[in-house]
Amino acid sequence: MTSEATLTAVRQSVVEALGVPADDVRPEATIFGDLAAESIDLLDILFRVERKLGVKIKAADLSEYVQGGIPDEQFGEEGGTVSAVGLAHLKTVMPQIDEAALAGKLQAERVITLFTVQNLADMVTARAGAGVR
Amino acid sequence: MGRLDGRVALVTGASRGIGRACALALAAEGAAVAVNYRSQAASADAVVAEIRASGGAAAAFPGDVSDPVAARTLVERAIGELGGLHILVNNAGITRDGLLFNLEPDAWLEVMRVNFGGVFHCTKAVVEHFAAQGGGVIVNISSTHAERGWTGVSTYAASKGAVSAFTRAAAVELARFGIRVNAVVAGITDTEMVGSLTARDGGRGVTRQIPLKRTGRAEEVAAMVVLLAGLENGYVTGASIPVDGGALSTLGVGQPL
Repeated sequence: MTSEATLTAVRQSVVEALGVPADDVRPEATIFGDLAAESIDLLDILFRVERKLGVKIKAADLSEYVQGGIPDEQFGEEGGTVSAVGLAHLKTVMPQIDEAALAGKLQAERVITLFTVQNLADMVTARAGAGVR
Repeated sequence: MGRLDGRVALVTGASRGIGRACALALAAEGAAVAVNYRSQAASADAVVAEIRASGGAAAAFPGDVSDPVAARTLVERAIGELGGLHILVNNAGITRDGLLFNLEPDAWLEVMRVNFGGVFHCTKAVVEHFAAQGGGVIVNISSTHAERGWTGVSTYAASKGAVSAFTRAAAVELARFGIRVNAVVAGITDTEMVGSLTARDGGRGVTRQIPLKRTGRAEEVAAMVVLLAGLENGYVTGASIPVDGGALSTLGVGQPL
């Protein structure tokens, strides 16, 4: 369970890195969609999170976390859409998604665009709990 | 109290010349200094001894910065043994001068590997550490040869041109991470590297073309490095600052012959 303090620190990191109004960085805002973050923005966000919370996350960790170690051939189907197995896992790390609506439609490469500020805060919480520094 | 108390600096190619002067000057301002060298261990040890004799902190670290693995190891060792890193001075450089008619086909590559490759590898090796701590300073030693042509120095000139261009691009990319990147554009400076230039005729053939009518001293280049390194919260980034006795400001030789 993500604490208010962790969520606040993550939101602050996003606000500072993107230079956007704090009101735009709602927990449900998608980082790469609504907030239009680029790869260098993500690096900046993650370094700020590391300084504020002492939790080190690399940019590449994000897609690993989202895919949950499921091999590509199981996560995606032919044509590049996310499989039922993949969607079931996504629901655990991105509980806001509507799997039924996304079934057979979500391209694997688009998954990361659904990642929200809250999802990042949850990831930070999971990493902190796992003692990853 | 020095301007760089509590800071740790890494100077590549610091056993002699401009690198040595930078190591001594940074230490004099209170920085602990990692003195990198490739082959001149005794000279590097002498620099370390001189710093320690003056009450400073320093240690010598071998490593060929043209090798990315060696550059990373160098940075990690410096951080581990000196307790951090805040300033990187990319100084290591070589020359393989000669007329284009005579140079071996890979002469450019050898020079580029050290003079630009060293800057690239060491920069890459520090950026994560710098970004994680919220900032750092990189000072690259470039050359007036990056800006103006001279006979016989094409490979060196091209490598320093790369350093100057990289300085600007890296400064823009790294600014948001609190990392400033600047270059000191050294003119003809009294070091072993340019010994052959100044050996003949007491160097008059060179100094007559320089407004200040003398070659530079390594300490003068180092003083600018300290200035740039010390502006930790400064507003200077992406700059290439000449320390050249006015050479780059001159049209021709600055007067009718």
